[in-house]
Amino acid sequence: MKKAFIGSIKSFISILPVMLAIVGLVGIFQVYITNDMISSLFGYSNFTDIFTGTFAGAIATGHGSISFIIADGLKTQGVSLYALSTFTLAWVTLGFIQIPAESLFLGTQFTIYRNILAFISTILIAYCTIITLGLIK
Amino acid sequence: MNNKPKGIKFFIIIVCIYIGLFIFDSNHAQLAIAKTSHILYTLLPIFAFIIILTALINYFLKPKQILKHFGEDSGKAGIFYSIIGGILSHGPMYAWYGMLADMKKHGLKNGLIAVFLYSRAVKIPLLPLMIAIFGIPYTIILNIYIIIFAIIQGKIIDKIMETKSTQ
Repeated sequence: MKKAFIGSIKSFISILPVMLAIVGLVGIFQVYITNDMISSLFGYSNFTDIFTGTFAGAIATGHGSISFIIADGLKTQGVSLYALSTFTLAWVTLGFIQIPAESLFLGTQFTIYRNILAFISTILIAYCTIITLGLIK
Repeated sequence: MNNKPKGIKFFIIIVCIYIGLFIFDSNHAQLAIAKTSHILYTLLPIFAFIIILTALINYFLKPKQILKHFGEDSGKAGIFYSIIGGILSHGPMYAWYGMLADMKKHGLKNGLIAVFLYSRAVKIPLLPLMIAIFGIPYTIILNIYIIIFAIIQGKIIDKIMETKSTQ
């Protein structure tokens, strides 16, 4: 067990440079990309809002709860549920600034395919959810 | 296990960006440092958890067992474990890359990594907030679709990677 634990610590130390780099990058993003800036991107049309939501969610960083708080504010501004869904979902499933780290650990090919699929899924899930919700009501 | 430091160049680039920021925009640079320190502080328990979990996996799950539970022939059980793991995992996605890369070396399927990473969108601690903003029916439907699409992504990734490796 001790050997496994030491191995695990050594393995963690080896990934520290990339972890510190990612966290450092997140710190920069959180300072320069504010919540107000994100909110100002919405409200042009339902169609563009869906893509804006996906991209904004993918670029934004921070705890998932922040995405819901922003979404709540956007909801009162009349932004569509499609856009809010893609935004909150992209926030937790996509992360453009994590791509270098993901590629380093899990392979470039895997990272490209996974992020493209996650991007498409995010939009499809928003549509499926709202269509299903409409059918139920 | 390869313990060569990863991402040194990436780290140096970020340090250079910070040096540049301190020269040209020191107020924001200080704020960014404060944010980074805060994030690191909040991540400490998650890092500790991941170190313990990796040690436990390495101790209890031998490469043969990883292959059995998460490898090519893991089937529905592998998908199920990946979904549960994804839902229960906390912290940012990048904190889990190291552990996943370790398991991948021992046979973890690419598709199951995709399933794990997308299932993380089901955030149990955030469900009350989601219900408060979007309502119960929306929350239930959305989370069901997240799991369905996580499985679909896993299947597609496996198909693509399989095709690529045979080419």
